[in-house]
Amino acid sequence: MNDHAAEAANWDVVIVGAGVCGALLAKQLTNAGLHVLVLEAGPGTAAPFDGYTDHLEKFYTSAGKGIGAPWPPAVGAPQPDTADMRTGGGYFVQKGPDKYASSYSRLVGGSTLHWLGVCLRMLPADFELRSRYGRGHDWPLGYADLEPYYARAEWELGVSADVADQSHHGIEFAAGYDYPMRRVPLSYSDQALAGAVDGMLVPAGPGMVALKVRSYPAARNSIPRDGYRPARAVDLRADGQAVTRYLGERCAGNTSCTPICPIEAKYNAGKSLAQADRRYLKLTAQAVASKVLVDPVSGMVEGIEYQRYTDPASPRHTVHTASARAYVLAAHAVENAKLMLMSGLGGGNSQIGKGLIDHPALYGWGLAPAPVGAYRGPLSTAGIEDLRGGPFRAEHAAFRFDIGNDGWRASTGAPDTTVADAVQRRGQFGTELRDHLQSILPRQVRFSMAVEQLRSPDNRVSIDPDYLDPFGNPRPVVSYRIDDYTLAGMSAAAEVCRQVFRRAGLEDHTDLGEEGNWFPGVSYGGQVFHYHGMGHFAGTHVMGRHAGESVVDDGQRSWEHRNLYLVGAGSFPTMGTSNPTLTMAALTLRTAEQMIAELAR
Amino acid sequence: MSRVERGVPAGPTPGTPGAGVAADERADVFLRLSELLTGFGAIDLLGTGLAGRYLRAIDDILPPGVLDELAAAFSRLPSGPDREAAAATTILADQKLGPVARNIILMWYRGTWARLPEEWRSAYGTSPSDTDHVVSAEAYQAGLQWVAAGAHPAGARQQGYGAWAAAPEQTRGSPAAGASPASPRSAAASQGAGR
Repeated sequence: MNDHAAEAANWDVVIVGAGVCGALLAKQLTNAGLHVLVLEAGPGTAAPFDGYTDHLEKFYTSAGKGIGAPWPPAVGAPQPDTADMRTGGGYFVQKGPDKYASSYSRLVGGSTLHWLGVCLRMLPADFELRSRYGRGHDWPLGYADLEPYYARAEWELGVSADVADQSHHGIEFAAGYDYPMRRVPLSYSDQALAGAVDGMLVPAGPGMVALKVRSYPAARNSIPRDGYRPARAVDLRADGQAVTRYLGERCAGNTSCTPICPIEAKYNAGKSLAQADRRYLKLTAQAVASKVLVDPVSGMVEGIEYQRYTDPASPRHTVHTASARAYVLAAHAVENAKLMLMSGLGGGNSQIGKGLIDHPALYGWGLAPAPVGAYRGPLSTAGIEDLRGGPFRAEHAAFRFDIGNDGWRASTGAPDTTVADAVQRRGQFGTELRDHLQSILPRQVRFSMAVEQLRSPDNRVSIDPDYLDPFGNPRPVVSYRIDDYTLAGMSAAAEVCRQVFRRAGLEDHTDLGEEGNWFPGVSYGGQVFHYHGMGHFAGTHVMGRHAGESVVDDGQRSWEHRNLYLVGAGSFPTMGTSNPTLTMAALTLRTAEQMIAELAR
Repeated sequence: MSRVERGVPAGPTPGTPGAGVAADERADVFLRLSELLTGFGAIDLLGTGLAGRYLRAIDDILPPGVLDELAAAFSRLPSGPDREAAAATTILADQKLGPVARNIILMWYRGTWARLPEEWRSAYGTSPSDTDHVVSAEAYQAGLQWVAAGAHPAGARQQGYGAWAAAPEQTRGSPAAGASPASPRSAAASQGAGR
């Protein structure tokens, strides 16, 4: 702690969570001279670069190289793991009927330590789904309200893209605006696919839509535009940023955005924390918020109770309280809801925890007719976005194609499983084996089709005293069902995928083999769709125009507790087909502005 | 090729237990066996820097004598065109030697050891080291699967900004590159600008 921070008898703001929203808020508020305490449930091991390197080593040496491999949880800050889908165990208590298949991580930096980095804006129509298509909900604010904050968020996170590629589906940019860095080059695989499918027509509701392979905006460092300085690898130490490094100023093609970028060329929340004014910031890691303390008369929050631990492997902890003028829950859509519920705070009309959504996503994978250079490049550099919007949304969910650059890694665990299949099932060895792998691996292509989901009160996070973690805190109990609107979207996505495969001459291997079908399945129209989670938790403390129907207002401020803010994707009334991080960042910057106006002394 | 021409790395380093002519010959047989099993030559295998490490790992995991049995079976293989067919019959199809040979292949390609099948373990013995595990971070990175893919290990040996836009190189056994619909070289050249 530094002198300024030590002098603060009361903090101006206590923030729960050091992920992207907490970090962005900490940066904005401290740069405005507000005293901020950030409480992070998990360890701060990724903040100094040597600690980050230890996480990288964990990835190299872990047998299962899933998204959580470099980021094992502390005993007191447990987290879901996608491997739980196979084992049936884990942190979530899954009440079904369908499984919620996503995961997140609890440590300084949060899930941005293992995100893909894709930064798509939401479409204007996504904010007005109810008005336009009679489905889902409208937001209490529109695209035009958020547009300036999208632009700021793109500069805060460091997004690489060209505006010229991104103006579609009604997305508009301010005159003269462009992203801070040029677009990340398309992979060879993207180029090959574009050559085959650009312009092809596919059905979309009653009409037809022409497809186009489009570059993705991504928070990965590329060639900067005028004056922008890409944020490097973080090396946060107790006495400040210890080492000046050029590492990570540009993506170097490690083909590992998830689960860990070895050089931090991709944004993580540690970068925003490193840009906070440290004279006004105290970051306390290994501090699990366990209760929001509320004055029963005024409804105002009086403090955050938290549990500190020194040994991440032990359930031992001590209980403390932090007080401030205002409080922010930025702990994650699930953790925010859980913390409110365990504090006895149900939210307006008991809305807290209800409306949990994700992007349940299908994989489609196959073999290209010729090598496309699989296993090289940022994990996804392009997608097909033409079915993210359109009148068909009155009938079924929208969807979006990610084009992978990592072969069948995500869908089957290749190349390890491709090798095992050849050796153990086909009985290959020697030159036959080598020739086979050299033929197969460079031709592997994989799509992810992320399908929109609408909020339903039955899909929810709740708590149950029968299910506690080692600190005695409740584990999230998740009820989740994928409805017909989304299932019909899955069905349409699968059909488009088949047509794209045919057009591009891809030999379809989707769901073939033992590794193809371990993902949870849902049935619709006589077909079974295996889906995975995208990690896009949202909808659990929804924003709205009125207190009775929502938890927060359009500034993410609690209707019931006016000095409390709940920030993040939990506030989303709809999510469309965009990865939520950029929109979370934009909303957070807007909230920060309002908080500064309110709290500045 | 003689052992001397291949140089020292395959064998134990001087001064370590087991050093000596017998150990060197053992390492040499392991290397030649690995050539047959992986389809990669001795230079590529030695180039991983892991031949000695893998031999030590196998000695640590397998019950005593199993690897020597495998080496003996290997030494009995005929030379010439029937060699691979004979290996398929006498090694890969053998109940005891087959699973071990397949695990050696997996180790070279993936850098991992796979727990031996239960039937094998109950018939020939178990070891606490016989678990699914990555041999080491270096082993993961040196996996021949990345070479076969014409790529690099995910998360290591970065190829540089924009390298992913370049067309893949022709490899043995693959259909011709450039048969894909895009015009690879020109597109890659324009994409890679500014690298």
